[in-house]
Amino acid sequence: MIQFKDGFYADIRIEDRSRTVISYKAGMLEEMKNRKEKQAFLRVYDGKLWYYASVTDVEHLQKTLDGLYAAATANPGILEDPVVRRFEKNRDSISSFADCSVRDVPLKDKQALLLNYLPILSEESSVALPAGTYLDRNSKFRFLSSLGADICYDYQTCGLSFSFNMAEGDKKFAGHWQTGATRFEELVGLEETLRDAVREQAYFLRNSVQVEAGKYPVVLSPMAAGVFAHESFGHKSESDFMLSDESMKNEWQLGKKVGSPILSIAECGSVPGSGFVPYDDEGTKARKNYLIKNGVLAGRLHSAMTAAVLDEDLTGNARAIDCTFEPIVRMTTTYIEGGELDFDELIAPIKKGYFIKTINHGSGMSTFTIAPSLSYEIVDGKLGRPVQISVITGTVFETLGLIDGLTRDVELLSFVTGGCGKMEQMGLPVGFGGPYVRVSSMNVQ
Amino acid sequence: MKKEFIKETHHSVTLNVTAGKIDSFRELEKTTGTVRVYENGCIGIAGCLGEPDEDALTKQAIEALSFGIPYPCALDGALELTVDETKDIIKVSELIPTMQTFLDRLGKLCPKFAFSNKIILSDYTSEYRNSEGRHLVSKGNSFAISLIAQNRGSGNLFDTFLSWDGKEFDPDKVLAYFKEQYDAFFTPVDIEPGRYPVVSAAEELYGRFLQHFVGDLYAAGASLLSGKLGEKVFSDKLTARDDMNPKTAYGACFFDAEGCVEKDFRPVLVENGVLKALLTTKKTAQQYGLPNSESADAPYDGVPGIGFHGLYFDPTAKTLKELVPGKAVLMVIASGGDATPDGHFATPVQMSYLLEDGVVKGRLPDISVSGSFFDMMGKDYVGAVRDVPFKDAAFIAVTMDVTKG
Repeated sequence: MIQFKDGFYADIRIEDRSRTVISYKAGMLEEMKNRKEKQAFLRVYDGKLWYYASVTDVEHLQKTLDGLYAAATANPGILEDPVVRRFEKNRDSISSFADCSVRDVPLKDKQALLLNYLPILSEESSVALPAGTYLDRNSKFRFLSSLGADICYDYQTCGLSFSFNMAEGDKKFAGHWQTGATRFEELVGLEETLRDAVREQAYFLRNSVQVEAGKYPVVLSPMAAGVFAHESFGHKSESDFMLSDESMKNEWQLGKKVGSPILSIAECGSVPGSGFVPYDDEGTKARKNYLIKNGVLAGRLHSAMTAAVLDEDLTGNARAIDCTFEPIVRMTTTYIEGGELDFDELIAPIKKGYFIKTINHGSGMSTFTIAPSLSYEIVDGKLGRPVQISVITGTVFETLGLIDGLTRDVELLSFVTGGCGKMEQMGLPVGFGGPYVRVSSMNVQ
Repeated sequence: MKKEFIKETHHSVTLNVTAGKIDSFRELEKTTGTVRVYENGCIGIAGCLGEPDEDALTKQAIEALSFGIPYPCALDGALELTVDETKDIIKVSELIPTMQTFLDRLGKLCPKFAFSNKIILSDYTSEYRNSEGRHLVSKGNSFAISLIAQNRGSGNLFDTFLSWDGKEFDPDKVLAYFKEQYDAFFTPVDIEPGRYPVVSAAEELYGRFLQHFVGDLYAAGASLLSGKLGEKVFSDKLTARDDMNPKTAYGACFFDAEGCVEKDFRPVLVENGVLKALLTTKKTAQQYGLPNSESADAPYDGVPGIGFHGLYFDPTAKTLKELVPGKAVLMVIASGGDATPDGHFATPVQMSYLLEDGVVKGRLPDISVSGSFFDMMGKDYVGAVRDVPFKDAAFIAVTMDVTKG
């Protein structure tokens, strides 16, 4: 039983994490492990400074907490502190994966699943280095605060990631395909999907041509659109970037027109998948937040600190990658909402442009970049040859204003490798997605 | 049974800065332990967070042999070596007042910038032992100031970074060095599109090409370098190494995850343009008949894999002026670029300065730079220098196509 002291705000976050990695390369077992870790992160706030500690010795949390109290200065008015007043006092227990925990799936079953898929990579003659990895994670979180919050919830992802470097003469291509899920059984029966992905990338290796650099209409797949939303606008909505420069509040006034009237970008931690965060790492309950609604700046993402400074409501976006770090403002699942077209209608008006189907990575500042993997020409309203594109770029606000078409259906994606990086905290699991998105002009290189 | 034991301890104190003020203090101590055992051509591994119980880990590692993960037992022989690069930098108890004074002075010197992010004081100890009598200990510490600078009123998340790391913290020198960048930031200059030497940290320009140095890809024929080991493929001036030397790579451990120790702690990849090695582990080196690059990495509970610690280029000039006389671009932030499968590289450059005869003249508008793999490391490679305007770190110069926007 943790004893919290008067005169301070304090909270404790404990994660019991199980993680499995099984990988093969060129037919040989490379890795097989099940890592179990238990860590805790403790915070004490005295109204002036935050004091943090990260420990693996979760049996003696009181001692660590008392050490933080000793470093801080008691503040009789701490409960009236604007940050402390923001904290929610939720008491809840959510067990979403008790009946399907990957902890209960034998290691040999996970290995067998992966081994079932690996031969598909070698069916294609150009694959020079087939490799595959099975990954899963199951975490049990507990959050306690001096205000009385007491929350337990679980989190789970599992998935398969394949890489298949291809070579044919002087032509090279780094092929890859992955899928993420929340239940082990969702990873069964994907043979044809994987086979199609390998075939498509082999076709790309043999037939892709260099892009003619210039400005063109571009259609983004749900994957590319999701990364675009995340990189181009999601990061700008993380309001910790607004704390240092007071003029940012004027620059980013809610209600300001920031994009095309057909564009709405939403963010929500309760969406199942890799961005599932029913309570954030400060104990705030997840809710749906609009960042842009009908082209207008509608909201931003907050921790208790940023909500207090900017005098706005909590959003449930204080997250840390693990119990080594303090929570900072991060995304959960970010997506563009759908429109009114189907895919054929979306590309029909394009005389010459490009379709970005899959990507390697993206980033966003005042200009954003997306590095495509598989891309195709669009000629006279039809998909054409595969093309090699290094990067597509654009000025964020100009591009948001140039979105002129959206398909109806929205696809949300979860991945089991990679993740979002922000300063020292890299690889945070997030979800993203959207419809197919048409942009009337982007720089293509 | 052959065995390796590894223990790593990392301790850090991190201050968070918001609006030029320190608002949090984080202390982290992380210890991990690893035991690897080898039998019948297989490896068994056990690892733990916290103080390791070697006997218990050994038992678990022996049990893990049953997974049947193939790995050659090729432990290096007896060697006793300790390298301690720990220096007196700043006492933890003095960190908050010293750095708040520094930040207050910085705020007065650079009033148009709003500062945030981290200041980190860290130290580490890595120990490796094996059953062949090898015992290595690497100790060191480092101090890093990593500040995001927002130009007040720009509306941007960040406009540039001011960062410094080292072991001799002289606030006056660091402030002067930050002020120089601040002044350049507010001096707009322009450049005509064309071909210019682009000066940058090596990873910014060559990072996307590192995959072509991976031994597995090389052996599979999937690397642009496949079949070229021992051949002269790049510029005579280019010698590139993996920097594991704590004297130049602050915080680096001088031995790799398999207890390998390279001369000068900098395994060579390219020497005078000749491809000398690929990135390997002992396993992939043996599997593909390649020399071992001796730069493996490993999680505390995992099989050793390909590691890379930092690019070190042998200097070809003593000063920036000598390296790039005339006009050149000093690239500071280049985010989002990539290379196509055949090695064409392009990246937008969000923050760069114009250099003239090695002197910073001012801030350039958004530009893009591009080139191709073999040219960038071949005929277009200008050279490397460790004397740069703002930082005592390695920079390279490559002639590239520069376009606006």
